[in-house]
Amino acid sequence: MGAGEKAVIQVKGLYKVYKVGDTKVRALNGVDFDIHRGEFCAIVGASGSGKSTLLNMLAGLEKPTKGNIVIAGEHMETKSENELVAFRRKHIGFIFQSFNLLPTMNAVENVALPLTFQGMDKSKREKLAEDAIKLVGLKKYRKHKPTQMSGGQQQRVGVARALVVNPEIIFADEPTGNLDSRTSEDVMNLMKKVVREQNQTLIMVTHDNHLAEYADRIFHIKDGKIIKIVDKRESAERGNAESEERE
Amino acid sequence: MKVLDLLRLSTSNLFKRKMRTILTVLGVTIGVASIVVMISLGLGLSRSLTEEMSSYGSLTSVTVEDSSNTYYYYEDNQSSNTDEEKHLDDDAIAELSALPNVEQVVPMLRMDVMLKCGGYEGNYITLYGVPDGYLESQGVELAKGTFPVGGNGQMQVLFGNQVLNQIYNPKTNSGYWYDGTMVDLDLMNDTIFFILDQDAYWNFQYGGDMQEGGEAPKMPKKHIFEASGIIAGGPDDYNSYSNNIYCNIDDLKALLKKEFKNRAIPNQPTTATGKPYKEIFYNMLYVYTDSMDHVQELQTTINGMGYSARSDAEWIQQQQTTMGYIQLVLGGIGAVSLLVAAIGITNTMMMSIYERTKEIGIMKVLGCDMRNIQGMFLVEAGCIGFIGGVVGLIISCILSAVINMLASTMGGEMGLSSNISYIPPWLALVSLVFAVFVGMVAGFFPSLRAMKLSPLAAIRNE
Repeated sequence: MGAGEKAVIQVKGLYKVYKVGDTKVRALNGVDFDIHRGEFCAIVGASGSGKSTLLNMLAGLEKPTKGNIVIAGEHMETKSENELVAFRRKHIGFIFQSFNLLPTMNAVENVALPLTFQGMDKSKREKLAEDAIKLVGLKKYRKHKPTQMSGGQQQRVGVARALVVNPEIIFADEPTGNLDSRTSEDVMNLMKKVVREQNQTLIMVTHDNHLAEYADRIFHIKDGKIIKIVDKRESAERGNAESEERE
Repeated sequence: MKVLDLLRLSTSNLFKRKMRTILTVLGVTIGVASIVVMISLGLGLSRSLTEEMSSYGSLTSVTVEDSSNTYYYYEDNQSSNTDEEKHLDDDAIAELSALPNVEQVVPMLRMDVMLKCGGYEGNYITLYGVPDGYLESQGVELAKGTFPVGGNGQMQVLFGNQVLNQIYNPKTNSGYWYDGTMVDLDLMNDTIFFILDQDAYWNFQYGGDMQEGGEAPKMPKKHIFEASGIIAGGPDDYNSYSNNIYCNIDDLKALLKKEFKNRAIPNQPTTATGKPYKEIFYNMLYVYTDSMDHVQELQTTINGMGYSARSDAEWIQQQQTTMGYIQLVLGGIGAVSLLVAAIGITNTMMMSIYERTKEIGIMKVLGCDMRNIQGMFLVEAGCIGFIGGVVGLIISCILSAVINMLASTMGGEMGLSSNISYIPPWLALVSLVFAVFVGMVAGFFPSLRAMKLSPLAAIRNE
């Protein structure tokens, strides 16, 4: 995980301007950063800080007003909507705040849905989905409908669904926003664990500083600008070095 | 996305909202049923009309008559050489048989005869000489006896079922056309005298004028023919054979030659000076073509060759055009209800999209192709059309059966011989395809809308 490795995400001079009536609102006001493979990053900010806008643009759900986003070597800002859909299908996993499982489908079918969109055979995709469900520890619940599961279980299905396509990047938008603190912790630990094991890149948006502590790097965003990037690994290394020096 | 998965997803969506799907399908069902029943009525009417027309005469034949028989003049002949009249002989048969689309040319010899039996008589009854096998091939049915066969020395005759109507008692003026009573005569067994030379008979009977030859008029020869049979039907059942007597054409030809020797034969053309020709010409040729569509064309061709031809084609065409209009109007009435059903489908799909905005958004975020999203809604709309079409078709078949049953019990005396509602296989197939098509057209605009929905709706938290 050296600094020399090519970044999975490169963002340069990103602006997003909304017009509300006659006034222009700058949701993003010049954002630059790189994210490397295998990193767990948290974007933290108060509501209205522009963190969700940033995530939407990284996931190709919104178009930037100005600036470049390069993900896995491809420019997102020049893609058409259909190309963006195709890109998400192959490279991106998504974890939602309100889980967004389809109520008519059981756990396995929900997890297999992105593979269905890829046109994979039923038997093959259900096997992959079963594996993903085992990974998040829901083997017993694989035939359950979302309404028959608790919030924490539903979000685990959501995590499995994001993992199943083996994406380059997983985006999580307030993944524990609808969960109580105990299950939040479970889900965060799970996410951290599987991301580590699978060497996935995870970008999480949250307003909760405590949850952000799980991440390797924390981007603090305010009024459309990144005001601070905290690298926990560096501080940990520094801490280790300091303690070594002390010894 | 695989087509099977697309179908599975669409149908599961339809199942999710059962009541709404059923109601929308009901609309299509009514639409399809009304169109199919309306068109089936139109088809049934036109079919029974065609059957009725064919009972008046063949719909695929052109009648060529000897030009001396016709009462009007053909001046539009380019050659206009009226002295070079075309008569109907074996050469003419060969010439007409060689025309395209012609299947068969049947000659006919006509002779007006007089029947006498006891005190009864019948005047100017038409005796037709036809080739053996012709009547059978036209589907003529016999009440009793057999068809006449030629070449066995004794001439055999077949009576039409309405021949008896024309025989009366001249003394009491009683008969079918006089006072409605039938003459008491057995055509099969009673001895009936045929008089071929009616002019001579009248001359003999009423003294006649002697200026012609100065000779006293002689009683013409009376013939007795063997009755071979009678055509099926009562005195009120008209068809194109019922008023005539039929015999073999060659027998009649030989008989005429013997009877008239060198005198002019009635119904036969004469030379410009009024002298008879040596041979006997046919009075009529029936030219049979392979299809109703060729009749008009053939008639024009034959007229162009110098013969005088006529057919029912023009009348039939007129009838068909009228039937076409009736069918169009009936179909139009049905189409209105299908249009209403189509609007219903559109409405249902729009509602469905509003309900599933979030779901569509999730699918887009998860990478469902935009065409697949559109396809999903199109398949749903098409399914509604298909189910409605199938159910509508079943209902139409039931309705059609009920209508036919009612019509046959109530309208039997109206002379409606065949079913008045008729659903041919092509109508069933076309209506089904049409229902699916209408469903998809109705679902197209909503599907476009679904495709264009923003994926952001999915991650917006309520």
